[in-house]
Amino acid sequence: MTTNVDPEKTAKDSPIEIHLSAGAAGGDAGRASADREGAGAPQEPHLGPPIFRLQDMGVWYGDHHAVKGVSMDIPRNAITALIGPSGCGKSTALRCLNRMNDLIPGARVEGRVLFGDEDLLSGDVDPVDLRGRIGMVFQKPNPFPKSIKDNLEFGMKVNGIKPTAERVEQALVDAALWDEVKDRLKAEAFSLSGGQQQRLCIARAIAVEPEVILMDEPCSALDPIATLAIEDLMKKLAERYTLVVVTHNMQQAARISDQVAFMTVEGTAEGDRTGVLAEVGTARQIFSAPKDPRTEAYITGRVG
Amino acid sequence: MSTLETPSPPPPPSATATVRPLAKKRARPSEQLFKWLVVGLTAITMAMLIWLITSVLIRGAGSISWSFLTDKPSSNPAKAGFNSALRGSVVLMMVTIFFAWPIGVAAALYLEKFAAQSATLTERRLRERLTTGRVSGLGAGWVHARLWWLRIRPRVVHLIDVNISNLAAVPSIIYGLLGLAIFVGVMGISKSLLAGGLTLAVLILPIIIIAAREALRAVPISIEQGAMALGATRWQAVRSQVFPAALPGILTGTILAMSRAIGETAPLIVVGGVVFSTAVPSLNPLEAGNEALLAMPLQIYFWTDQPQASFQAIAAAGIIVLLATLLVMNLVAIILRNRYSKRW
Repeated sequence: MTTNVDPEKTAKDSPIEIHLSAGAAGGDAGRASADREGAGAPQEPHLGPPIFRLQDMGVWYGDHHAVKGVSMDIPRNAITALIGPSGCGKSTALRCLNRMNDLIPGARVEGRVLFGDEDLLSGDVDPVDLRGRIGMVFQKPNPFPKSIKDNLEFGMKVNGIKPTAERVEQALVDAALWDEVKDRLKAEAFSLSGGQQQRLCIARAIAVEPEVILMDEPCSALDPIATLAIEDLMKKLAERYTLVVVTHNMQQAARISDQVAFMTVEGTAEGDRTGVLAEVGTARQIFSAPKDPRTEAYITGRVG
Repeated sequence: MSTLETPSPPPPPSATATVRPLAKKRARPSEQLFKWLVVGLTAITMAMLIWLITSVLIRGAGSISWSFLTDKPSSNPAKAGFNSALRGSVVLMMVTIFFAWPIGVAAALYLEKFAAQSATLTERRLRERLTTGRVSGLGAGWVHARLWWLRIRPRVVHLIDVNISNLAAVPSIIYGLLGLAIFVGVMGISKSLLAGGLTLAVLILPIIIIAAREALRAVPISIEQGAMALGATRWQAVRSQVFPAALPGILTGTILAMSRAIGETAPLIVVGGVVFSTAVPSLNPLEAGNEALLAMPLQIYFWTDQPQASFQAIAAAGIIVLLATLLVMNLVAIILRNRYSKRW
């Protein structure tokens, strides 16, 4: 964090500093630091202690430096939104958190991602076990071509959870899908509408009892009504889980998130285009008083 | 525009006045020419097929009867039946599929789902093991060997890729020679249905691998990733989600590969196909090693080689039976494809 000497970056680092101290010192200190922040932002909502601490995290795809120098904390039981223009590496950054980038040939992740106290990027961490604890919902609904019930039971089975009818029901209730499908659990998942399929994918992720749910533009393939249903669901889920949501919809980020991280693309000297974290802060601060001019340009619609 | 050229009627309301008149339909000769060209070429293909089928039907339909299917071969064309050849082909297919399917599908799974996967992590782990000095001597040698394999693996896989496609294009008689050399020569299997079935298995192996790989590739990567994001291992994801989703496609490809095998004549002749035998092979595939190598195409080949005209008629009847078998197999493949294939 503090070793960063690039003068251009100092400005955007400041909200992270404030947030870090808030996380480290606990609740009251967090509020105090928010007060200290001043700068016209009234009454910053309090963000809980961090569950993830990203330290200079970056991703290489072969020779392409896709994302670099991402340092931020992600608070527990809150919704953190990653926003930014297309190609800024938000999804790539998200996929580091459950080691999905491991599956891409040629991909390499650098830096540290502390989950609790441990670096989850470490070579001796089992990515399979990790993914059972950090679930993921994808951009396009991807139910398995099987029954609704099978979709829920698969994750339980591979995680050693006994797939009981109660657990299936609970996951569907939590994903706000139960009332719509309770009479046809044996029906093909593909027979559901797009919004229902996405809620099934959320239910499938909840069913394995994760601690964190990562969502990669979960509403981009859905219509506005289905989107609202998923957003309501996300807000409810944030009471029990930590959510990290990639979205290119700023209204959505403003509606749902507690913390917002704005990423953007920087050209490098070698002609590469690299995604960087421009600014991170509470949703209120980012949308009402962005500190980084790039954030301001983006959220006011002048860029992107 | 037109309103300016025809001043007599009062100018129409302004909104419509600015729209140019629509062009009328006109002939496009080159378009027509091309259409008739492709229609004509298609017709030639169809005509050949129809001519083939009708000529066979005309010559052979009279000889088709229940006893033709149940009688054994005879030197008397009036009494000769197709039963032995039919049984031979059935056993051949059982042997062929028993060996070709598991090997072909396993190879496809490896090439498609495991060989091409990211080795970055394994490599990192192995290197860490070397630098931390936890291994020495023989262990270090083994780690170095694995690192070397990871480095050359993409090239090896590419080489296999190219050569599987090459194998699928090798003339079938070459496979016959291979079967004769390996199964009969080296392994000492008698010139039997077993040797023939094994030879056909090798012949269709590349076809099954290619078809199975395509079927696996048709399953969106999001299914596999969805499974792995839930904490499944790659094998669990492939076994429980990807493979079942690809199975209809794999089976379709397998049936089409079998219909290639069932018509093969040349490799069977080379491996020691019997062109005349009064033996009736057992339908038990475990007996295949002791049964003379009889098959429908061999029997047809033998009959067409006879000078008597009456043998030509039963040869045509044999062709009808073989074609009908092929038709049924392809029909099953089409039904499988339409019934179970998923639109993602």
